Amino acid sequence: MAACRTRTSQFTSALAERPLPWLYPYREDAQSTRLDAPVFRPFVPISLAHGEQSTWQLTGLVDTGADAILASDLLAEQLELDLDNPEGEATHAVGGRVVVARYKTISLRLHPSDADEGAYREWQTEVGFIDGWHSDGLVLLGSMGFLDHFTVTASRFAQAIAIEERETFDDRFGVVLA
Amino acid sequence: MSAGAAAIISCVKPIRTNFKGYEGKFVAIDARTGEIVIADDDPKVVLEKAKGRNHVVVHGRVPHADEPIYVGLG
Repeated sequence: MAACRTRTSQFTSALAERPLPWLYPYREDAQSTRLDAPVFRPFVPISLAHGEQSTWQLTGLVDTGADAILASDLLAEQLELDLDNPEGEATHAVGGRVVVARYKTISLRLHPSDADEGAYREWQTEVGFIDGWHSDGLVLLGSMGFLDHFTVTASRFAQAIAIEERETFDDRFGVVLA
Repeated sequence: MSAGAAAIISCVKPIRTNFKGYEGKFVAIDARTGEIVIADDDPKVVLEKAKGRNHVVVHGRVPHADEPIYVGLG
C-alpha cells in the first residue's frame, strides 16, 4: 500500500548533473564465441565498495529471475572482506550449478553506460559471495538489492535497458496493491 | 531527424565485442566501444590492470567453444 512505501532518498550520488534515467545498450556476451549469431544481454557497469576498499568497474548482469545479488569471491578478496564470518549463508542454483553464497552488507555503485568512474549512484545492500565463481560476468544483479532500488525497463526490441528512480513505476502505473 | 533523436538511436545501438581469440581468458572492455583492452589467464591480473582506467569494465571469462551455453543465470 502507498502508506507503506517511503520515498526518502536511499542513495548517495557522485554526479548530480547526470540524473536518472540512465540508458544502457545491450552488450555482446562472451558466449557469442560458440554461436554464429551474437548473444546480447543487459549488462550494466557496477563496482563494489567496503570501507576504504573498492573494486574497479565490472559488468553486472541484470537478472530478473535471480532473487539476490551474487558475486565472485575474488571481489571479496579485493574488498578485504572476511567471508569466514558471513552475515548469512544460502544455497542457490545458478547457471545449472548449486552454489553456496556467503552474504555481507557492502556498498554497490551503479555507473552510467560509458562507465565513467566519477559518476555513480551508491547504496548499501547484501551481496552473496560464491567461491570460484568468476565465469562470464562477475556480478549478478537480482531482485533484492538491485531491482528493489530502481525501476528497470529492459527491451530486447530496443536492445537497451533503462534505469530510473524506483518511484517511477508508481508514477507511471499507480500503486499496485498486493 | 533531430539531433536529440539521433543521439538516442545512437545510444541504444548494442555494443559489439569480438571475443574470438580470447577463449579461456579473462577480459576487460572499453565500455564505450566494446573493444577488449586487457586479457589474461588470471582474473586477478585483469582486475589489477583495469584499476585507474576510466571507461574500462572487467567483463569476466570468455568460454571455450565446447562449453555449455547458458539460457539464463538466475
